[in-house]
Amino acid sequence: MSDEMDEIINDFLIETTELVDDLNQKFVELESDRDNQDLVNSIFRSVHTIKGASGFLGFNQMVDVTHITESVLKKIKDGDLILEPGIMDVILESIDMVKVLLDHIKQKDGAEEDITGLVGRLKAINDGTAAGSHEPPQMMAQPASNEQDIDMTAVLDTDLLAELEAEQAASSGVKQVGEILIESGLISEDDVDEALKIQELIKESVDVGEIPRVGEILTVTEKASKDDVKKALNKQAPPSTPAEKSDKPQQVEQTIRVDVERLDNVLNLVGELVLARNRLVKIATTLEIKYQDSEDLAPLTELTSFINLITTDLQIAVMKTRMQPIKKVFNRFPRMVRDLARQLNKEVELRLFGEDTELDKSIIEEIGDPLVHLIRNSVDHGIEMPQERQSIGKPTLGTVTLSAYQEGNNIVLAIEDDGKGIDHEMLREKIVEKGLSTFDELDKLSIKEILDFILLPGFSTAKVVSDVSGRGVGMDVVKTNIDKLNGVITIDTEKGKGSKFIIRLPLTLAIIQALMVGVNKEVFAIPLASVVETVRLVDKDIKTIRGQETVILRNEVVPVHRLADKFFIERSSDINGKMYLVVILIGEKKYGLMVDKLFGQEEVVIKSIEGFSGSADGVAGATITGDGKVVLILDPSVMFSGVKHG
Amino acid sequence: MPYDKHMKILVVDDFSTMRRIIKNILKQLGYEKIEEAEDGEQAFTKLKNGDFDFLITDWNMPNVTGLELLKRVRADAKLKAIPVLLVTAEAEKEQVIEAVKAGVNNYVIKPFTADVLKDKLDKIFERLKK
Repeated sequence: MSDEMDEIINDFLIETTELVDDLNQKFVELESDRDNQDLVNSIFRSVHTIKGASGFLGFNQMVDVTHITESVLKKIKDGDLILEPGIMDVILESIDMVKVLLDHIKQKDGAEEDITGLVGRLKAINDGTAAGSHEPPQMMAQPASNEQDIDMTAVLDTDLLAELEAEQAASSGVKQVGEILIESGLISEDDVDEALKIQELIKESVDVGEIPRVGEILTVTEKASKDDVKKALNKQAPPSTPAEKSDKPQQVEQTIRVDVERLDNVLNLVGELVLARNRLVKIATTLEIKYQDSEDLAPLTELTSFINLITTDLQIAVMKTRMQPIKKVFNRFPRMVRDLARQLNKEVELRLFGEDTELDKSIIEEIGDPLVHLIRNSVDHGIEMPQERQSIGKPTLGTVTLSAYQEGNNIVLAIEDDGKGIDHEMLREKIVEKGLSTFDELDKLSIKEILDFILLPGFSTAKVVSDVSGRGVGMDVVKTNIDKLNGVITIDTEKGKGSKFIIRLPLTLAIIQALMVGVNKEVFAIPLASVVETVRLVDKDIKTIRGQETVILRNEVVPVHRLADKFFIERSSDINGKMYLVVILIGEKKYGLMVDKLFGQEEVVIKSIEGFSGSADGVAGATITGDGKVVLILDPSVMFSGVKHG
Repeated sequence: MPYDKHMKILVVDDFSTMRRIIKNILKQLGYEKIEEAEDGEQAFTKLKNGDFDFLITDWNMPNVTGLELLKRVRADAKLKAIPVLLVTAEAEKEQVIEAVKAGVNNYVIKPFTADVLKDKLDKIFERLKK
């Protein structure tokens, strides 16, 4: 029983969290689209739902907060209260409180929040005593008060039913069948009266639900033909309920909630399958070469390629089950931008594009924080104050655009603002001032490379450090987080026009394409996403500049790092002066990784190594190759993070 | 209309937690055959395709509301006799009147206990016997 209760509470937490996330977005939408009745209804319904379930589960504080919020929303819904920013702030505060309370429920800490202040403010708004709340004067009287006093036990009374029926006939916009038939001249008013009387009688004698309709009575008493009634009913149709209009083909959404753990388990198993498939393919290939002439091998080859195909499909299918729309992350931003803009006295509009773009769950979970920071940055440092914007001929309303789209095997997220952009000169000065580089060195770098300094630890260009963003921490954290996801961030900016931050992320984290390389007798896997090219070198191509081995590739100086040295492996002596350079791109910067052999491309499943993966050693994890070897997967971004520019 | 623990009940609510709660209460009362639908549209399809003996529906749902579902059920030759219990909140009292007009058999106010629900079910079947 208590297990069942736990499950229900768990369900409640998940569902309510979803509702609250949606609510934040809807409220911000509502602020700019106040007449959107559908939106108001849906907000009202969400709060109402939370209240209802909380009541059952005994979450009293939750009921208190949602109850009064619901009342305020009802007034807004009914047009008795105008939604002003001040009122909106309090409502949003109550939504935040719901979140806090949800957290308590989740933590099972039994802690209570002090909600008296909030509830008091909501009550004041609801009672119309709050400063700044304007109720339309004609609505001062409580419209629903007498109805609330009705003794509900009496409602089921048939007398009351009849009364209500008559009332409805008089007031409703929908024309009664009788009326239509009279208008068409088919029957007289007396006929209808008679039919209504019959209906009354029947009502009194039989149970609810069995009452014949006026049309039916008219047909039975032969006052009107079935066809005429049908025609009249058809005429009645237009002003009817939307439900009847939406009589489209039944689309029943069939979804089930599955514990993420189970999905992870399936993904793990598929990972194992991919590894086994890789081995199978390798063995089959070896056998094919060895027994070329044997006909017995044909079925094996065929089956192998079939299993190969199915495994790939299965892998994609399983990955899809873990995909979630980025909407989940985007939802919280409109609210955040709104609050931020109000706090900074700026006018900012957030535009969202591609919210349905899907990403792996694990990436969705990790991408939120970097995006929060980038958007905060755009609003805080990018968008100018309204007066300033006006003085330079920009609209006072600044725009921050957040978009997501798929590009090949990557998902691209772009945060763009039409603010002041980044001043290159000021940036250069700042870099030197911070001691991160010298003007001489900066002269050698491209603009893109200079912009990358922003992503270094301890860098902040904002003159006034606000409490919103720009504490000197952040951008480097953004970069670290994105690196962790095997993603890449680039910056594009134009002074006076705005800045654009572009994040490229892989579709999934668990299975990647890797370049297999060899050093001496060791094999390593390098994620293909970061590999730009591979080049064959001979000893004399390598020039040592200021103690750093480098190579010039198409007029570009690329530093050379020997993989052997990185892992303290003895350099191979027997390579006839031939070696390979794997050119790796991290951010905008290229690094060369020297290896002895290139084995080719392989699909690898990342297995994390407990207490080792993600460490400073530059190892992302391990995998098992086609020939059954355990191989380390390199993490170039970590590997080269300690390497200074130039 | 069979009023026993074997009657097949459809619980309609757009909030899955709510459906589970109601289901849980029904189970406490000894009912076994309970199915769920998440909105009026889905509920109507299920009702049409399955021989349900009882319908418990929330009022405030997106798209096809509880009231619209009720109206559709009452207008359907096959389903019109099925007893309907409406789940509502206190603030929606005035809506109950509308529901009664549309032929609801009874209503229950959230939150309710197993005893309250049992009482409502008893009342409905008592009235139906008359």
